[in-house]
Amino acid sequence: MNASELQPIEQFLQTHAPFDVLCAALIARCAREINIGYYAKASAFVEFDPVNPKLYLVRSGAFEVRDPQGVLVDRVAEGECFGFSTLLSGEKVVNKVAILEDGLVYHIPQALFTELRTQNRQFDTFFTRAFAQRLRNEHKFKAKDLTTTSRITNLMSHTPISIEVNASVQQAAKLMRDHRVSSVLVLQDQQLVGILTDRDLRNRVLAEGLDGLACVDKVMTKQPQTVASNALVFEAMLLMSEHNIHHLPVVDNQQAKGMVTSTDILRSQSSQPLLLIGEIDRQSSIERLIHVSKQIPVLLQNLISADARAEEIGRVLTSVTDALTRRLIVLNQQLLGKAPMAFCWLAFGSQGRQDQVACSDQDNGLLLAHEPDEFAAAYFDKLTHAVCKGLDQCGYIYCPGDIMAQNPQWRLSLQQWQQKFKKWVMSPEPKALMHASIFFDMRAVYGPQTLFDELQDSVMSHTKDNDIFLAGMAGNSLQQTPPLGFFRKFVLERDGSEVKGMDLKHKGSALINDIARVYALSAGIKEVNTAKRIRALMDANIINRKDALNLADAHEFIAHMRLANQGYQATNNLVVSNYLKPQDLSSLLRHQLRDAFKVVHDAQSGLKLKFTRSF
Amino acid sequence: MDVQTLTYIIVGATFALYIGIAIWARAGSTKEFYVAGGGVPPVMNGMATAADWMSAASFISLAGIVSFTGYDGSVYLMGWTGGYVLLALCMAPYLRKFGKFTVPDFIGDRYYSQTARTVAVICAIFICFTYIAGQMRGVGVVFSRFLEVEVDTGVYIGMAVVFFYAVLGGMKGITYTQVAQYCVLIFAFMVPAIFISVMMTGHVLPQVGFGAELVDAAGNGTGVYLLDKLDGLSAELGFSQYTEGSKAMVDVFFITGALMFGTAGLPHVIVRFFTVPRVKDARLSAGWALVFIAIMYTTIPALAAFSRVNMIETINGPDSTGVAYESAPDWIKNWEKTGLIAWDDKNNDGKISYANGATNEMTIDRDIMVLATPEIASLPAWVIALVAAGGLAAALSTSAGLLLVISTSVSHDLLKKNLMPDISDKKELMYARIAAALGIVMAGYFGINPPGFVAAVVAIAFGLAAASLFPAIIMGIFSKTINKEGAISGMLVGLLFTAGYIVYFKFVNVGANTPENWLFGISPEGIGMMGMFVNFIVAFAVSKVTGAVPQDVVDMVESIRFPQGAGEAQDH
Amino acid sequence: MVNHLWLKSRFWLDSLSKQQGSHDRQLNEYQHSLTQQFTRSIYDADLMAIDLEMTGLDPINDQIISIGLVPISKGTIPLVRAQHLMISIDGSVGQSAAVHGIVDHQLQDALPIDAAMAWLLRQTQGHILVAHHAPMDMAFIQQSLQNVFGQRVLLPFIDTLMIEKTRYLRQHGQLVEGCVRLGQSRERYHLPVYAGHNALIDAIACAELFLAQVSALGGLKQIKCHELVGLSK
Repeated sequence: MNASELQPIEQFLQTHAPFDVLCAALIARCAREINIGYYAKASAFVEFDPVNPKLYLVRSGAFEVRDPQGVLVDRVAEGECFGFSTLLSGEKVVNKVAILEDGLVYHIPQALFTELRTQNRQFDTFFTRAFAQRLRNEHKFKAKDLTTTSRITNLMSHTPISIEVNASVQQAAKLMRDHRVSSVLVLQDQQLVGILTDRDLRNRVLAEGLDGLACVDKVMTKQPQTVASNALVFEAMLLMSEHNIHHLPVVDNQQAKGMVTSTDILRSQSSQPLLLIGEIDRQSSIERLIHVSKQIPVLLQNLISADARAEEIGRVLTSVTDALTRRLIVLNQQLLGKAPMAFCWLAFGSQGRQDQVACSDQDNGLLLAHEPDEFAAAYFDKLTHAVCKGLDQCGYIYCPGDIMAQNPQWRLSLQQWQQKFKKWVMSPEPKALMHASIFFDMRAVYGPQTLFDELQDSVMSHTKDNDIFLAGMAGNSLQQTPPLGFFRKFVLERDGSEVKGMDLKHKGSALINDIARVYALSAGIKEVNTAKRIRALMDANIINRKDALNLADAHEFIAHMRLANQGYQATNNLVVSNYLKPQDLSSLLRHQLRDAFKVVHDAQSGLKLKFTRSF
Repeated sequence: MDVQTLTYIIVGATFALYIGIAIWARAGSTKEFYVAGGGVPPVMNGMATAADWMSAASFISLAGIVSFTGYDGSVYLMGWTGGYVLLALCMAPYLRKFGKFTVPDFIGDRYYSQTARTVAVICAIFICFTYIAGQMRGVGVVFSRFLEVEVDTGVYIGMAVVFFYAVLGGMKGITYTQVAQYCVLIFAFMVPAIFISVMMTGHVLPQVGFGAELVDAAGNGTGVYLLDKLDGLSAELGFSQYTEGSKAMVDVFFITGALMFGTAGLPHVIVRFFTVPRVKDARLSAGWALVFIAIMYTTIPALAAFSRVNMIETINGPDSTGVAYESAPDWIKNWEKTGLIAWDDKNNDGKISYANGATNEMTIDRDIMVLATPEIASLPAWVIALVAAGGLAAALSTSAGLLLVISTSVSHDLLKKNLMPDISDKKELMYARIAAALGIVMAGYFGINPPGFVAAVVAIAFGLAAASLFPAIIMGIFSKTINKEGAISGMLVGLLFTAGYIVYFKFVNVGANTPENWLFGISPEGIGMMGMFVNFIVAFAVSKVTGAVPQDVVDMVESIRFPQGAGEAQDH
Repeated sequence: MVNHLWLKSRFWLDSLSKQQGSHDRQLNEYQHSLTQQFTRSIYDADLMAIDLEMTGLDPINDQIISIGLVPISKGTIPLVRAQHLMISIDGSVGQSAAVHGIVDHQLQDALPIDAAMAWLLRQTQGHILVAHHAPMDMAFIQQSLQNVFGQRVLLPFIDTLMIEKTRYLRQHGQLVEGCVRLGQSRERYHLPVYAGHNALIDAIACAELFLAQVSALGGLKQIKCHELVGLSK
């Protein structure tokens, strides 16, 4: 049979991604090996053959992929595919595919799919991307916003305080005092029959003049509103406001499992960034500020468990740090009096780049409008010591390298800063380059933007097109390489005999930060956030579009892996570190991580070629 | 063990050393050292610069030229040394201040023109090609002797080795690899020189032995001075006196100038000054480099004289009547295999003899001089093998540097900046590798069909650099009136004039390559300096009739020339 | 539609009336292999969609030019087993070339009709044929069998046109001109329009239509073969 006889099918493949990248011979083979299936809406779900997983390419009709919980993961219409997750991950099918509209589906056998992937890199990338996208989507639906999707089980008290129905009010009150709770559950034969709260004791006991021997049964709220442990926090909030109550017993299968109070819910909400920032801005004492900052680790944990994008997490956490810093400056100025001159509080390093993760150490400095006299110097000395101390107490520990505004070395006038940067640029010795990698990621957190702009403009005018400095920067950043050895095997770091794993920060994210920084400085791009830098470089056509997208993807992926790993370490009471052991990953994630490192490696080669004129 | 086995072992060992250093540097164990120690120490950087600087031409061919042409050959020594000083003192600090890593980038920015940059890139590529061709020839000579193959085959092998080293291997451009290469090459050069000096004059330092009395086998002075003896021998054989020049004064002057200014325009050496972060350290390493270069350059005349005397005596025998071919020394037979020595028994007496004129029966390629010297002087086999390793070290370090200039210029300056701005990193890297490979192939071609001896080929490269890049750089730094039109036309006219003159005499009309036909008696080797003047004149003339230089460029030039802030900003 | 017991008896009677030649044994085996299919569901049965291209519409005077075959197995259409055969004819393709796009030179590698019929029996053995407007295709096949083997065979078949006609009448009461043609029928099931027109593509189109029809009738696993089969001799 000659190939073109299946022309309508080949034509369909040729006009739909990712098959459109295949050569004619592969298209013909593909058409030849297709198995056409018909799916009627009446059968509701696509039946999968667990033994022979396939790729499903929709020819007509419409389908929906839903995860085991029934959450929508993907909608698939003509020309789109499903079933690749299983083929790529090798895990068994868990998602369900609902048939929305009758249709024809081309089945592509696994062997052929694998072959097409090996034969064509673009075809392969299409599906690994689609898979990563889908992973993200799955989480997106789960995450959304914490109040609407968090479940009660995450914030309820798991050891309910309860009392028998025939106990006395006094016994109940004693119990509540001992456990420092504001309500008890009332049980009869292990069944929940009522709830007794502080308010009941006041309104129904004291106000009514009953004595302590009165039976709980008489004063409790009978048949209280309850909530299931897997209910959404949102639902609990609705119940509380509808019935004007503050306590909700948690009941599963008629068994009292715990209690959730309005305070619990408020607390969970306040770890939302906006609320937290609002709260920070409202605090009027440093002590209160320190207290509020205790919620930052909770916020991080929530964001990680919600599987937000790593870049977003970084931005959110940094904006909290920024707010905290600003508030500390304002509060301390209230104590010390008005500043004798305009100044900017500078954030360097990860805070500058807006990619802070856990409570990192502080990297900051002070930019003064002009040379301070003795009085001004003393003022800023006090102010910066107070702010740095405050930050330390809020969990941002003192910088071990002493890059802090309280160090007079980093509390300089505009002219001095300009000199300092100029010296680093003109004489790029190793120490200067090490500094450069921290200081060139700077941002003004507090103070007049014009003052900061003046500094940044002069810095950029020195770095832009200064090839010698850039060569030094590039050379310095090339000292570290991604942990890939020969044959793209992961290189693991060891501590004695113990395998520590791969350092995702210093051999991953930091390398991409370095690359983006060198390019940005060379082009005079003022962005400091790595993702924004890469985008700006792409828009200015300094980095090839494909390279830029790959690099941005790799950056997000590695940062995401690092955060997910840290979230895992935190919840399992392990030491939180940047080290990831590849054996903890699924084969697909390993594959993607390897790809991400390869992208970093290629980008480093590009950097080396362009800036150090070597390869 | 025979020479060949020893060569394999010693060359293999030096390669293992380079690879080992590369791995050590890769492993990142240098990082702590690097940061803690404030970078590469100036002494080390000086050695690395010297390794970049001293090419196969210096190592293999320079002594040969001096040996054969006597005083005339010394122009190379003077030119190259002068050029280095010019580069280190007059140019590098200013370029550094300008913040440009490569010469074309400087020219492109100074003359505010992409065209100027492109012309400079083309000049640089052209010069580097010529220079590498010289290196290839040198490597070919080394391999042909020690693997006992034809010199062409030697070039092929050399191409493969350089390709592996410069395109695939990750050992190039690492300072410590180059330090090792310097050590290997200087050791390889000095050992035979010292040996021979002790044997012939009883002095350990060849530089001293050069001006000393000869001693006999028992170590007693003979009262005859080395140079006198050589003058006598030369005169006897019909050559002009060794210490007397045969070149016209004007030619010597021009060749020296071309070499000097060309050196200053060579792109791969300038870079070395910028890899040192502190200006002070850069100066120190330039000084050290000069010392390390001087060690070899001052030895060259001595070695040349020693080997000349030895050569004449071993060929013509103690009584100067020639030696029977059967009993001719081994080195003659060994080198005959490479085709670099040939014997034509004109008078059918079965004896070899060497002289100037019709009675001469020996054709000896000058490039073998350094390599054959240990053999001529009957030094131990390991010394001979060591010299091979030294020659390779010299060729590799220089060609790797040059190939990087060529390949990155092609991929980044030509393709990325001009032709394909949207090229991906991977493609750029691929094109760089292809350019390097092409560079090697073309250089190999000229290595097999050389228009002259190694040093002479390299001299042409210098001439081209002197005529094109050097004036553009100098005017860029020191003149505020030269505009882009002037610079571009100057470079083009200078390059074309020089290249045309050389091609005419070296390729098109080789027979006319005699002093009578030369312009003002200037040989093709020296025409670069003339090209330089032409460049200056054209640039000034064109700038006069075209527009003025933009104000920001004028400010820029002014700021370069003031040393303030040249990395010496005060520390707070 | 016919009951499967009746079908079986027809086949039994048919085999009784046969003499025993070599051709006959081949044809007999062919028939026997089919009888097992009747009680199976559409999902489990071995079916083969078929389409013929002819020089005209008269089985006596016109000839088959090409045959497209594609199996229907477990509710899917495996294209890897699809077949397309050209048949050499006496004379020229003539006017019909305008319809099916086959021109004479394409027929050069074609099989002669006797070899083609033997091939067809081999390929379709054990499969119930599915075609759109099947009686026409069956008539051509029977005529060719008659010409080649000297006798006809009792052939069970499924006619998608007939199925569509019944469904259409039930829904709309009366037929409209052209409403049960392959293209129009497919449109009602939102099946894609195929630009190509050859025996193989039409066989695939017919197979897809059939799957859609059976799904609409109640499901591949619910409908049994004998509920849809007709006979041809």
